[in-house]
Amino acid sequence: MRILCLEDNPLIVFHIEQLIEDLGHVFAGAFESFADLKENFTGMDFDAALIDIDLADGRTGPIAAVWLSEQGVPIIFVTGQEKIAEEYCGVSLGIISKPITQPDFARKIALFSSVSR
Amino acid sequence: MTAPDPDDLSALDHVLVLAPYRKDATFLGRLLEEHDIRVEISTGIDDLADRLATLPGVLVATHEALTPHVLEAVASHVRSQPAWSEIPIVVLLDRASPNIRVRAELSRIWPRARHLFYQRPVTPVELVSGVQSALLARLRQRDVRDHIAREVELRRELNHRVKNILASVTSIFAMTHRGATSLEEFAEDFRGRLGALANVHSAVFHAVGENVTVQEVADLTFGPYRLTGEDRISSSGPAVMLHREAGTTLALCLHELTTNAIKYGALSKPEGRVRFEWRVSDEEPREFSISWCERDGPAVEDPAHAGYGTRYLRAALTGMFGQKPVIAFHPEGLRCEARGPLSRVNGNP
Repeated sequence: MRILCLEDNPLIVFHIEQLIEDLGHVFAGAFESFADLKENFTGMDFDAALIDIDLADGRTGPIAAVWLSEQGVPIIFVTGQEKIAEEYCGVSLGIISKPITQPDFARKIALFSSVSR
Repeated sequence: MTAPDPDDLSALDHVLVLAPYRKDATFLGRLLEEHDIRVEISTGIDDLADRLATLPGVLVATHEALTPHVLEAVASHVRSQPAWSEIPIVVLLDRASPNIRVRAELSRIWPRARHLFYQRPVTPVELVSGVQSALLARLRQRDVRDHIAREVELRRELNHRVKNILASVTSIFAMTHRGATSLEEFAEDFRGRLGALANVHSAVFHAVGENVTVQEVADLTFGPYRLTGEDRISSSGPAVMLHREAGTTLALCLHELTTNAIKYGALSKPEGRVRFEWRVSDEEPREFSISWCERDGPAVEDPAHAGYGTRYLRAALTGMFGQKPVIAFHPEGLRCEARGPLSRVNGNP
């Protein structure tokens, strides 16, 4: 599975990339803002997305999540702002809390496989 | 959020007047308005609740206006005040009224209000200065309200930042742990990376508006490694202000490049040199570019697999610049170049 990451902290992108590859999936790239995602969306190839609540262009994670799920992309929030993520539970398969732990990450990523096309 | 100017009377709230008899209300309203005080007049119990809901700064009431209904409406308003609020209430009593009893009664049913009593006939100067003073006291109360709101906001922001730092540290830990081949190596690398994060945090915290220049980031990263009288790492470029995140990312990248150069690259040999330069293009949209260039070190070989440093540089610089950096294991020394729109990294000076 190819997984995209929306996250503005490069250290965390780096960590997530490694965790994704450890699980045998492909890291499809990262964007630090919703604006970057929209600009580069056409031609991107990915099956699922991990999204933080606060991005480089503000609290745009939830809008990005809604936008991606409308395109049929399953998403999971990766955030320390669990309360806000919970308000958008309708568009996400789950929430990975920060700081990220490997077992939690692995368990939540498995949810993608359960809905994959 | 700026503090209101205490001399700016337009920042003051309006006064609500409750004076149902004769021409009291008209007289009071005109008197206060002559002194640039905004006035609303309550015409009776029907509109009182609505007028209180518009949050007058001060209530002025004649004694005879205080019917049981009015007392209760005001009491309800006083009870529902937020923590910062103690509305000043000016009551105009008559010489004939049982003043001690009235005051005791009003204190009981209107707690957390500031009562000011005047005995009629009141001179205009007394009343106006009393009302002005009450409005200023009200303005102070609103300052307190604003401070409380600001503190709530700061606490939220602080929590957010602490969480971010902990998440960053967790990621540094996990990735350093993964790449380490011994406990000693792990300890040294982890300490170095946390140190770089701590240094840039301090620099950004002490900077005006949380911005930091590229030169400051370079100095704080290279400073500990600069040997006296010998600058083996040169850094040069124009004044460029980075926002907090870009400054942090650049500091961590320079830390990786520097420690890599010390361990395996140009700085592992006495004659080795590093040049770090940055530029901003003249044409719009302005482009910011950085270049790290090692020379006179040991012959460089492309490593079989990328370690933490290289992988982090790729991920971090891609995020920072919006496009991938060029990291080349040139035989004469490692080169790393990255470029992207200045607007992505620029902090307001």
